[in-house]
Amino acid sequence: MSLQKPVMRGLLARRLRFHLPIAIAIGLTSAVSFKYMVTEPRKRAYAEYYKHYDVNKEFNAMREAGVFESVQPTGK
Amino acid sequence: MAYPLQLGLQDATSPVMQELIHIHDHTLMIALLVSTMVFYTILTTVTTKLTNKNMLDSEGIQTIWTIAPGLILILIAMPSLRVLYMMDEVNNPHLTVKTIGHQWYWSYEYTDYKNLEFDSYMIPTQDLIPGQFRLLETDHRMVVPTDSPVRMLITAHDVIHSWAVPTLGVKMDAIPGRLNQTTFVVSHPAVFYGQCSEICGANHSFMPISVEAIPLIHFEDSSTSMLAKI
Repeated sequence: MSLQKPVMRGLLARRLRFHLPIAIAIGLTSAVSFKYMVTEPRKRAYAEYYKHYDVNKEFNAMREAGVFESVQPTGK
Repeated sequence: MAYPLQLGLQDATSPVMQELIHIHDHTLMIALLVSTMVFYTILTTVTTKLTNKNMLDSEGIQTIWTIAPGLILILIAMPSLRVLYMMDEVNNPHLTVKTIGHQWYWSYEYTDYKNLEFDSYMIPTQDLIPGQFRLLETDHRMVVPTDSPVRMLITAHDVIHSWAVPTLGVKMDAIPGRLNQTTFVVSHPAVFYGQCSEICGANHSFMPISVEAIPLIHFEDSSTSMLAKI
């Protein structure tokens, strides 16, 4: 009975062939995750904010709160 | 304005700043892709005893690691140039405001119709009233109308300063003997803050910028009353 000769060569190349696709997959996964967890929600948040934005209502609320110096609250 | 433990850019209040935030997210996504890939590669490199002492040229991988970064750079450059040219458009401004940097305050001039000029000094910390922001409030704010392109002409009186309001996506050096131009459109009424962004002496950190944006109809009234005060 003879033992099978163990693989003696190309070990590093085999390791690289195994791990390089994993590295690329991790990179792509993190990029896609960032896009759909940060970038797209941010774009939607800005679109949503300005879709129903009432300039006069917000301005009057800030004016009555005394935020502005150039326009005084209506009582004054 | 800035808030404690802030990590990202300030929220945008002008269309240009919205575009800048989107391109920043895009570039950060690419940076994340490259960083995670390189981190994992380094991890696999340092956790092995396997070596190859005979590795010589390998045209295949050299081609790949030349073309791939080139493609990544093109992916970054295309939106970047689009936003760059968008920022350069002048867009028929409705109002021109001149600002001059001094040591250590800003002065503003509205000369489109009549001559309105005033200085804008920081309110010292001991003179703040509750609710005001330390090192950001000024005695006179620059007032602009919302939804109107505003042209800023920026220069300096003595040394180089820089007029910056992060939430509007504006930063422009104020250089003595030179007139720099930038434009912005404010999307909604509020008060926006900025700080001098070029080292200019002992009180460089104490010459803030505050911009008050109000609807156009109120802007006309407030300009009239400001002129009457002078």
